[in-house]
Amino acid sequence: MAGDVSPRVLIVGAGPAGLAAAHALSRQGIGDILIIDRDDAPGGLPRFCHHPGFGLEYAHWPYSGPGFVKSLLRDLKGADVRIECRTTLLSLKDGPEAQVVGPSLGLRSIRPQAVIIATGIRESNRGNLAVPGGRAEAGILTTGQLQQLVARKVPLPQHVKSMIIIGTEHVAFSAIWTARMAGLRVKAMIGCEDRVMSFGPIGALARACGIAVMTNSRVREIETTHGAVTAAIVEGTYGTRRLPTDGLVFTANWIPETAALLGGPVAIDARTGGPQIDQAMRTSSAGIFAAGNVLHGVESSGWCAKEGHHAGEMVARYLRGEIGGVRNGAMVQIAEGIEFAVPQFWDCTLAHTAGMRDLPVNLRMKQDVEGRRIALKAGDTMIQSGARKRLLRSRRIVLRPGAIAVPSAVRIRLDVTD
Amino acid sequence: MTGAYDIAIIGGGVVGTAIARELSRYSLKTVLIEARADLGDESSKGNSALMCSGVDVPAGTLERELVRRGYIRYCAEAPGMGLPIRKVGAIVLAWTQEQEAILNKDLVDAHADGFAAEALDSAEVYRRWPHFGPGIRGGLWLPDEAIVDPFSTPHAYALDALENGVEIRRSWPVRSADRMAQGWRLHGPDGSLDARCVVNAGGIRGDEVDKLAGYSDFAIRPRRGQYMILDKAARAIHDVIAMPAPTPTTRGILITPTIFGNVLVGPTAEDVPDRDDRRVTEAGLAQLRQAIATMAPALAHQPINTIFAGMRPATQFREYQIIPRLSQGWLTVGGIRSTGLSASLGIAEHVAGLLIPGLFDAPRKARTRQITVPDLSETSQRPWQDVSRVESDPAYAEMVCHCERISLGEIRDALASPLAPKTLNGLKRRTRAMFGRCQGFYCGARVQTLLNAQSSAH
Repeated sequence: MAGDVSPRVLIVGAGPAGLAAAHALSRQGIGDILIIDRDDAPGGLPRFCHHPGFGLEYAHWPYSGPGFVKSLLRDLKGADVRIECRTTLLSLKDGPEAQVVGPSLGLRSIRPQAVIIATGIRESNRGNLAVPGGRAEAGILTTGQLQQLVARKVPLPQHVKSMIIIGTEHVAFSAIWTARMAGLRVKAMIGCEDRVMSFGPIGALARACGIAVMTNSRVREIETTHGAVTAAIVEGTYGTRRLPTDGLVFTANWIPETAALLGGPVAIDARTGGPQIDQAMRTSSAGIFAAGNVLHGVESSGWCAKEGHHAGEMVARYLRGEIGGVRNGAMVQIAEGIEFAVPQFWDCTLAHTAGMRDLPVNLRMKQDVEGRRIALKAGDTMIQSGARKRLLRSRRIVLRPGAIAVPSAVRIRLDVTD
Repeated sequence: MTGAYDIAIIGGGVVGTAIARELSRYSLKTVLIEARADLGDESSKGNSALMCSGVDVPAGTLERELVRRGYIRYCAEAPGMGLPIRKVGAIVLAWTQEQEAILNKDLVDAHADGFAAEALDSAEVYRRWPHFGPGIRGGLWLPDEAIVDPFSTPHAYALDALENGVEIRRSWPVRSADRMAQGWRLHGPDGSLDARCVVNAGGIRGDEVDKLAGYSDFAIRPRRGQYMILDKAARAIHDVIAMPAPTPTTRGILITPTIFGNVLVGPTAEDVPDRDDRRVTEAGLAQLRQAIATMAPALAHQPINTIFAGMRPATQFREYQIIPRLSQGWLTVGGIRSTGLSASLGIAEHVAGLLIPGLFDAPRKARTRQITVPDLSETSQRPWQDVSRVESDPAYAEMVCHCERISLGEIRDALASPLAPKTLNGLKRRTRAMFGRCQGFYCGARVQTLLNAQSSAH
């Protein structure tokens, strides 16, 4: 393919964040948008999740994963948006300049005016977690891998009939759903925390389905015989137990997908593993924005779509010259008990921009904390504080500071207070 | 399936395939048989992937001689087969006076035997590798030590052998062997074959294969080695083969870059009763973490891609067990414990020298056919980096494995090649697909789909 194909805006990733960003851009009158996705169809991870609960915060309807994807694609009908699947972002440089490769674009550099990184996230697998034991040809999976196997109709080996799910976050229940749909018996779910990290009633439902829910537990070893999983050796306050199973699904322990960013100009937050942004979704490199799960431990698809939408609006403002294109402002200091917070930077000057709607501050706690609240302070001045409540680990905690009209030189801090 | 051959090689690991390639240079009818569905599926798949010059193998042994010869030949012949070599060098480290004394002696020996070696003092070690842990008193720099592709090597040997007339049977475990008037009759799953001479390159099962013929000169004492693979960012920190000075009790755990661009930590050395017990244990992982903490603490927080264990076919003897019973038509190549990859071409040459002209008066073929395998190394030009290749065949532009950036075209080529992989692990070793940090989270299902489509087409 010859000639310059540089679009006005390049969106990397056709999941909920990327698709919603394209929609927001075109509603703002921005055309010539190219979305690339390295998979063979658009939709990101939700397209493999055939159960309800997708898109709530964005579309206000509990779609199935593929249903939500369809609705996001429907929103793009008639828009000046081109989606190229099977196309990979190789690297991203200042400019922005993106090197991509794909069957229809070939290997080339493109220079759009703005880029939105919406490359999503993956789960840690057994190897990443260094769980001891034997190796198996099949049966040691992650949720994402199990869902793809089922969605792509790849049969599991005959001998694989049961599974144990590792982890108790929301996604663990998605794994249970998928495993049961695939005709597998889910024998247990095992979590290292002292409670089910997802909603309590869901844990009760799992128990009602005959699934042993084991908290305060960890897999000490995977037992295999002749390349097949035979049991999980599980350790807890009760001692050590051998749970016979044909397979394990490792869930959660999310890792943002930033391979194409490594060594490039987009600064990565050591806490989230994703790009650092300010509340206008701007990264450290001019014209490069980011949205969705690449920014943080897993969020719902609806939340990601909302972030994508916000990024789209911010890029439109940038292209109209209303705001700058590079991350700005002070780094938000965070208290000891907070695992991470997004955005990492807060640009106080944006408060003076007409009609500016900020991205809320989204944070996670390291541990469950009883009866405390989160406060956002500028210097010693309280800007905003949440309600006093149980602050649960691995749940989204949101603050909406609105317009912070203080000089940007003042230190901004997130605290856990009484 | 029946047949009559001059030579039957049992075992399609790196040693058996090297012997097959060597014998394909002669006018002989040779068959290579492998019990498993894919070649290189036992000891050859789980090792440190080093190409050693032989400097650290005890002098005066056959092992030293064959490693040295194997290294020279590999450096000369591997590039012609498309196999990558990176001469990154090795640094052997001393923390104690005892280790320093060992290194001083090793330096003298190395120079006496004609190996390249250089003593580095503590300051020089830290100047070259500032990320090393504290307390290093000095090191021995061995500039010729190299890293290679352990998976493509047996494949390239086998493909070369096949191209030059060797028959290859996979999924053909030898169940029994009958002594015939001339040679042996080997019984397998779908019949038998006759060979005037059998070469037992049975690796981790070498003693069991020998027993089929009634020999029991050695017993395999399986030695497990656990490993950890760190993600690619680690190589920016650590890009040298680093190991502690050997002590009388242990050879130590090394930290080395891999040809695929990762960092490998291992192996442990554990004698285990079960030769198939390739378990990774908590104790083993603790040893690997300790090695990182001591040698390269900067790697301690690098993400782990995977953990695995390999099995070295050690015996009760320290030396290789190459036993030519030529009058009985049975040649055993056993106990190739941890230097098999480095020594493979040396062993092959040695074995051919034992058989020809001693047993077979076979002339060397006037012409041999060249083969090349895809260069899977991280530092080579990948197919998708080649604009013209991508334009002429867009399948090279479509990534399937995103972590390792392996294209649909490469997977398709591997599946369509002679000696096509039969299993997912075989396909992984041939392409690097699913080797990366996500271990198949993104591509596992698609790669399996491609493999299944190929299997059902046959």
